[in-house]
Amino acid sequence: MARIPSTSRRALLFGTAAASAGALLTACTSNEPTNQEQATDNAPVADDKPGKAVTIGFAGPQADHGWLNAINDNAKSRAKKYSDVTLEITEGSNDIAQQIGQIQTLINKKVDVLVILPADGKALTQVGLQAMKAGIPVINLDRVFASPQAYRCWIGGDNYGMGLNAGHFIGERLKDKPNAKVVELAGLDNLELTQQRTKGFDDALKNYPNIKKVARQAADFTVESGQAKMAQLLQAQSQFDALWNHDDDQGVGALRAIDQAGRDDFLMVGGAGAKSAMDAIKADNGVLKATVLYPPTMAASAIDLARALGQGKGVGGLAEFEIPSSLTLYSAVVTKDNVDQYLPTGFK
Amino acid sequence: MAPQPPLLTMSGITKSFPGVRALDGVDLEVQAGEVHCLLGQNGAGKSTLIKVLAGAHQPDSGEITWRGEPVTLRSPIAAMRLGIATIYQELDLIEGLSVAENVFLGHEPTSAGFVVRGSVARAATAQLLRRLGHSEIDPARLVGDLSAAQQQIVSMARALSHDVRLIVMDEPSAALDPEEVDNLFRIVGDLTADGVAVIYISHRLEEIRRIGRRVTVLKEGRSVAGGLPAESTPTEEVVALMTGRNVEYVFPERPEAGFAAGSEPVLKVEGLTRRGEFAPVDLELRPGEIVGLAGLVGSGRSEILETIYGARKPDGGRVLVDGAPLRPGSVRAAVRAGIGLAPEERKAQGLLMLESVSSNVSVSTLSRFARAGWLDRRTERAAAHQAVRELSLRPDNPDAAIRTLSGGNQQKAVLARWLLRGCKVLLLDEPTRGVDIGARAELYAVIRRLADEGLAVLLVSSEVPEVLGLADRVLVLREGSVVHTADARELDEHRVLDLVMEGSPTP
Amino acid sequence: MTQPATAAQKETPTSAAKSARGQEISRRLGLRWDVRSLSLLGVLVVLVAVGGITAPDEFLATSNLQLVLTQASVIGVVTVGMTFVITGGGIDLSVGAIVALASVWATTVATQEFGFAGILFTAVIVGVGCGLVNGLLIAYGRLVPFIATLAMLASARGLALQITDGSTQIVAVDSVLDLGARDAYVLGVPPLVLIFAAVTVIGWLLLNRTTFGRRTVAVGGNAEAARLAGIDVRRQRLYLYLLSGLCCGIAAFMLIVLAGSGQNTNGNLYELDAIAAAIIGGTLLSGGRGTILGSVLGVLVFTTITNIFALNNLETAVQQIAKGAIIVAAVLVQRRSMPGDA
Repeated sequence: MARIPSTSRRALLFGTAAASAGALLTACTSNEPTNQEQATDNAPVADDKPGKAVTIGFAGPQADHGWLNAINDNAKSRAKKYSDVTLEITEGSNDIAQQIGQIQTLINKKVDVLVILPADGKALTQVGLQAMKAGIPVINLDRVFASPQAYRCWIGGDNYGMGLNAGHFIGERLKDKPNAKVVELAGLDNLELTQQRTKGFDDALKNYPNIKKVARQAADFTVESGQAKMAQLLQAQSQFDALWNHDDDQGVGALRAIDQAGRDDFLMVGGAGAKSAMDAIKADNGVLKATVLYPPTMAASAIDLARALGQGKGVGGLAEFEIPSSLTLYSAVVTKDNVDQYLPTGFK
Repeated sequence: MAPQPPLLTMSGITKSFPGVRALDGVDLEVQAGEVHCLLGQNGAGKSTLIKVLAGAHQPDSGEITWRGEPVTLRSPIAAMRLGIATIYQELDLIEGLSVAENVFLGHEPTSAGFVVRGSVARAATAQLLRRLGHSEIDPARLVGDLSAAQQQIVSMARALSHDVRLIVMDEPSAALDPEEVDNLFRIVGDLTADGVAVIYISHRLEEIRRIGRRVTVLKEGRSVAGGLPAESTPTEEVVALMTGRNVEYVFPERPEAGFAAGSEPVLKVEGLTRRGEFAPVDLELRPGEIVGLAGLVGSGRSEILETIYGARKPDGGRVLVDGAPLRPGSVRAAVRAGIGLAPEERKAQGLLMLESVSSNVSVSTLSRFARAGWLDRRTERAAAHQAVRELSLRPDNPDAAIRTLSGGNQQKAVLARWLLRGCKVLLLDEPTRGVDIGARAELYAVIRRLADEGLAVLLVSSEVPEVLGLADRVLVLREGSVVHTADARELDEHRVLDLVMEGSPTP
Repeated sequence: MTQPATAAQKETPTSAAKSARGQEISRRLGLRWDVRSLSLLGVLVVLVAVGGITAPDEFLATSNLQLVLTQASVIGVVTVGMTFVITGGGIDLSVGAIVALASVWATTVATQEFGFAGILFTAVIVGVGCGLVNGLLIAYGRLVPFIATLAMLASARGLALQITDGSTQIVAVDSVLDLGARDAYVLGVPPLVLIFAAVTVIGWLLLNRTTFGRRTVAVGGNAEAARLAGIDVRRQRLYLYLLSGLCCGIAAFMLIVLAGSGQNTNGNLYELDAIAAAIIGGTLLSGGRGTILGSVLGVLVFTTITNIFALNNLETAVQQIAKGAIIVAAVLVQRRSMPGDA
């Protein structure tokens, strides 16, 4: 969903996870995942007692996609919950030069903490370093900077974990079926995150020797491409048992193609957590049985972290006096059983 | 005449392209310091011959010797190294580069082998331009900003920037007016005085008379005569050699009775003017009459024609056809009223080069062959065929691609377009430009016949004899004003040149 | 006026023999046009052979033919419009963005209330409206087509984003969705393919059999000559962009049927796909010569490649490389088959 070229640092985290096969939590993951994944409106705020006033600067890319739109909304509504937080939010931009300019303006305004979701992590590393040098701590949201010196804390989703959890979900459902076949409708192949989601999925399937991945095609996160590629996959594979689709938006197109082909002989797992997907899971009248989260609530958590940083506190419920240096969020699997809990976080 | 060996001899040169034998045994001998003229109709092989000489084509057989030594001209660079420079008819300058950059393109003065020394190039260019009598051209200006005549000077400067011994000029005077032609001839005179030889290609016999020493005539890929004295060979002989027939009357006779002088004018121009281009012009044209506009390049003749046609918007005055005024500045209004134009730049303004003859002829009459936008292509083709046949266009095939036709036949296709439309007034801008001598006579006859059938023709030509020979009445233009109007029979070339260049000495 | 008319009448007695010869020649001419497309047809035949060998069961199935034609339909309709614009000496870079804008405008909650007709009407009107703006800017505002349509690309995509806020607009109108379902096939032909076929036939007739087509070729071949021949060049240009916009509107509706939704990312890179298909089909990028048949073949070649690669489960990267290679190969083959125009 979020098109994030990840970096070596996160790859390291994923590597650790892969090594302890089966362990779904990475070392740095919050001990209270539900806290993070719940709807911002319902979740208890980190520390309700008003403290020192904090001005948080927020710079993100252009919200040309439902998930990014949800990121902005989450940040804004979370900030509103705190009487001691002022949010300075910039007009989103995909133009790297423009985003650099916007962040420099925020630095000049001397905001207390910066939350940055860079249009391109590598390209914006320098401006992250500038902010840190100017004494403004940076919370790096999702797309990671090239240097750890460019941020105080990174918080983001887990692409490898998405694939892993999707693989395990499918594996558990099919483990008693001999010679089970699965197909994969991947996202934009140019992006590292697509490779990570595929890698996690493949690693999970290794635990289930009866399951074989028979086909993989890459779409490009759009409804149109999802329809086109899925139609081809359905033509190529006259029979299979499960489908792992990286992205719920292209999933709209994929579901359309499945509907047009009149197929219902397999189960489908989506990715990201769009509201339309959750609605379909809840209704349980089609092939879509689950979706793996890449939660946009991370923006709300980033505001929490920024506030804690500005007030010199740690994270409630953790023993440390400071906030952690990195937080990888859990990619929860939303099914019919738990969908009600997640529905409010579903994005359009 | 030539004690030393000739500078260049070519003998038995042949060159074939798929389906065409372009050169079929050409002999040519050029002495140092002479102006050697090359004559021939379009398709006679002149272009191929000079491309062989420039190293752009390799001959299939034949021998070339240069100052007594046999040579092979493997590439344009090899030819240039020997001292052969070619100025093509289609100028090959790069408009986005400056004058100096064009002149020294490919052999820039450099330091350390790659750093271009712009100032050196500009200084050398300025010197070359002074030598050519055009020191007013700034070497730093972009070539695209220069006039056609100035661009030609730049081409010539480029040729001279090499150490040349032979310059080939392909129709250098085509885009020049008489004054500039004089300057060209002065330059040619200076060059030959320095011992440089010039191969000069032109359709204009009078020019050849003026500067040529000897003439070689090409016909159908062969040299049919070589080394004729340029001054004394009679025109009839030259034309006969080129065409293989005797041309006695180049211009058709005017009708005995003349046009009906009393008849109502079909076209009336009243006080038509465009600021900076031409002063108010009054003009009347009767059916059957051919009126000529004579004047130098820049005298406003083409501008007047295009304004009458609506392609330019007038600042004042009006145009009436059969007494009804036309909407100013509208080509469509003019066409609807029955005016047709054969433009000056035939390829750029007149023809759809990718299309067939038929499509080119019918383009102004399409709706006649259509019902509710639906084309009846058979009727269209038949009508176009009929129109081109009336003008004896060759080949007699409306499906032939227009680009494969000769200049004269392309011009006939343009005329056929208006013939098909049934227009009453025909505006002809340089109708014989790029048309060879044999075909010109035929074109003249066609124009006269159209007039005899009731068309009114307004003719613009930079060749005074053409205006005098073809038109019934002549308007002489100078700097945008009509300075004289007379019956063509009352004028001669000398008098017209006097009028157009009033104040300057006539040659 | 009277003179050529009487001349034509005089000729009537002999015209029978001549018209027979004329027909023969135009047949020959027609054949020559086919030769241009023939190389592409050859490529298509080779592709079909490759598909039949590598994935015999899946590729040669009727359902796959239906699939390939359906996938070709949307971009095919856009390409027909693009062929007219290019033949007329222009270029339209905004087709993808117009498809996106028309598809999201036609799928807003407000529009969907008007049902099938509302969606179809909105898509077409938005397409034509964008074409009108393009045409006015180019024909009467004297903007270079590249710039004018580039500006339209940016603003139409921007407006599409603004309308959707980046979200996917699901279509809830059953009659629209049903048009993409198997039940709606007419004698086994999907309705979208029928629309594509109709647009192709109308486009071919318009270009080859009408004054509009002839004027398009004239304006594209030599705008100045066309103007001096009395053709209203500016109006013709306006019509061409209107036509392209109309095709985009139709394509947007087809995409809504196909994907069951409208999204601001729709029509991604359609401009390049349509231009590429038209060019490999034999339409001159510089204008003055165009072939609808070639364009449609070009679209089919691209769609078939994608299909074969998907059936054989090959990577996207390989697909893209093959697409590039085929563009170059097709153009090279065409050049060789017509040396005169190289």
